[in-house]
Amino acid sequence: MGRLGPWLIAIIAIVAIFVDIPKHQFSFPFNCPGICLRIGDFAVNQEIKTHLGLDLQGGTQLILRMQMDKLPAGVTTPQSELQTQAIRVIERRINSLGVSEPVIQGLGDDKILLELPGVDDLQQANELATRQAFLEIKVPDKDKPGSFKSLEPPLTGANLKPTFVTFQNGTRPVVNFDFGSPDDQRWIQLSKDFFQQPVQISLDGKEISAPTINAIFTTGSGIIEGNFTAASARELSLLLNSGALPVPLEVIQSSRVEPTLGRDSVNRSLLAGAIGLMLVAFFMVAYYRLPGVVAVLALLYYTALTYAIFRLVPVTLTLAGVAGFILSIGMAVDANVLTFERLKEELRSGKSLRAAVEEGRRRAFPSILYSNLATILTAGILYMFGTGTVKGFALTLAIGVAISFFTAVVVTQMLLHAAIEVSSLRQRRLYGVEERANEGREGRGGATAAATPT
Amino acid sequence: MIHFVERKQLYFILSGLLIVPGLVFLLLGGLKPGIEFKGGTLLDARFDTPPTVSAVQDVMGALGHGEAKITVAEGGRIEIRTFEMKPEEIVKTTTTLQEKLGGAKIDPSTVSPSFSGELIQNSIRSIALASILIVLLIAFAFRSFGWGAFRYGIAAIIALLHDAAFVLGFFAILGYFFSVEIDSLFVTAVLTIIGFSVHDTIVVFDRIRENLRLNPGEALNPVINFSIMQTLTRSIITSLTVVFTLLALFLFGGFSVRNFALALLVGIISGTYSSIFNASQIVSLWQEIEDRVRHRATATA
Repeated sequence: MGRLGPWLIAIIAIVAIFVDIPKHQFSFPFNCPGICLRIGDFAVNQEIKTHLGLDLQGGTQLILRMQMDKLPAGVTTPQSELQTQAIRVIERRINSLGVSEPVIQGLGDDKILLELPGVDDLQQANELATRQAFLEIKVPDKDKPGSFKSLEPPLTGANLKPTFVTFQNGTRPVVNFDFGSPDDQRWIQLSKDFFQQPVQISLDGKEISAPTINAIFTTGSGIIEGNFTAASARELSLLLNSGALPVPLEVIQSSRVEPTLGRDSVNRSLLAGAIGLMLVAFFMVAYYRLPGVVAVLALLYYTALTYAIFRLVPVTLTLAGVAGFILSIGMAVDANVLTFERLKEELRSGKSLRAAVEEGRRRAFPSILYSNLATILTAGILYMFGTGTVKGFALTLAIGVAISFFTAVVVTQMLLHAAIEVSSLRQRRLYGVEERANEGREGRGGATAAATPT
Repeated sequence: MIHFVERKQLYFILSGLLIVPGLVFLLLGGLKPGIEFKGGTLLDARFDTPPTVSAVQDVMGALGHGEAKITVAEGGRIEIRTFEMKPEEIVKTTTTLQEKLGGAKIDPSTVSPSFSGELIQNSIRSIALASILIVLLIAFAFRSFGWGAFRYGIAAIIALLHDAAFVLGFFAILGYFFSVEIDSLFVTAVLTIIGFSVHDTIVVFDRIRENLRLNPGEALNPVINFSIMQTLTRSIITSLTVVFTLLALFLFGGFSVRNFALALLVGIISGTYSSIFNASQIVSLWQEIEDRVRHRATATA
């Protein structure tokens, strides 16, 4: 590491601390909440904030499965395409509701994960996600009087223009629709074919109304009247405007968390993290002395940097994620412990401080590398197979281990090298080893040779 | 000098004594799957003034959920477990509970039985995959030993199975006596323990490798013993720091992560034990058996 190294590390620290600071305390001279950069056409505008998962901020989560077996016969759209379409439809529905930061993503090849922060109406979330909103006009069935059948091909709301709610006689809410091209021509034709006969307006296979046609239409528009309240009419209008789900969906997992409980969990986890960090710091200094202080500094560096990365990526912090983060604090210490134990050994074998620091780093490296790889490997597998909570844990653990590798190998080393350049810090006592005069008193049996490099 | 290798039978027996009771309860069906793995609905209710279990049971019975299992949990919470309910039914049930038993905050969660099977499958698959990848990683790390590298990998796997078995057994006992349930967080904990156990074992093995290289003529057992001695402080201190953080999480982290922290705590202590007292001893045992077989082969020749 050349002369630039320390500067680079210092700059990373400053940026990390800046990112960690809650925005409201640091708005000057930036008049936007986060990173706002504009260089020519290149613009970055990312809000920096801690993203909390549903279990920490409250809200509703649903996992939906596409019911491929309930797909109408003759649909040949591939499953992946259906999934993308369904996600888009749900996205539109949610956007018109104004939920902030919803999560809608595919899960496997037949499931959809939906997270609605701040929404605690399970019923509403359920309807939003599972009502198909499949509008169809059916005509009287000549073979079976009193019943209706689909046209050939079915006349559906596939090309519907945006619908809206009006009030008949100023009180009865109705939904206004317009078939749009080319279905409007069929709608006009239908009014000629079935003049003075009832036609059925059905939604998701259920009759909403069956008005009698008493005029020849000239446009593709019409109204749906049912026993609507103003709210239910608006909801139907919203669903129709977002388009129909291409495939029926069923809820296979749902959960809701009260926001107050979430806040309580955050506070408790933060407390646990702080106590854990303090215990570790105290222990390290008591046991390793000067290197212990170095380790604590590296640990603080690690915490600041990891938290900054969580805010920047951003990583959504769930309860399990916070636990993963706290666990990674414990693991971050390990690389330091490995290095310091080596350092002590090298010092005891009679090396100079500088040589011992260098040798300690070199010898501890393979252990640190492979043991961290093992943890990252398991985190990767958890991420691949896990859902929701488990994924959050895996991601925070993996990021934590990766950063701890960096801080232990680079930052701790740099601080140690800096410390041994200060003459008053060069006493061997500070490293937990007896002064040179006492050396050799420690008998270690025949295998001592193993510790001395040949 | 502690005789880590010579007394290996003793440590193997101790491990057996720690694991067997748990396995017995595991076979007795002590491990209780939560709704995530079984399917069903869980209503987690916090009442202003907690009603009696029988009062809750009555309300649930009137709603057609006579099968509801009601337990009083930490912090005055009441947990109601039923068969899977659809969202409309959940809304109806929660409002009825709130009306009849006084204002409560109720967090419902539901998992369809068809989905829980998938979750179990995923968990098993991930544990299997993790184990295979870890053998390969260790075999790669110790590739200078040629085919001998795999015995290190396999010893590490046996050590991690030891830890997984201990945690599973521990929770089987908890499940049997206190009906503690396991969920996907528990699986996460088991996988983390596996990662940590291997992490610990690798550090010891790495030392053995280094000492074998530095002392080419030396017999395996003394080198292993010395390597364990050298890494002992590190193993204990690392575990202690992790135990500190987990203990903080267990004591102050709130009930939703308490079992998770407990699983990790137990597993990590077991992982430290197995990396000191089991993993390298298995490599030593392997070598001794191999030597004996070879000796017999040369004797008969």
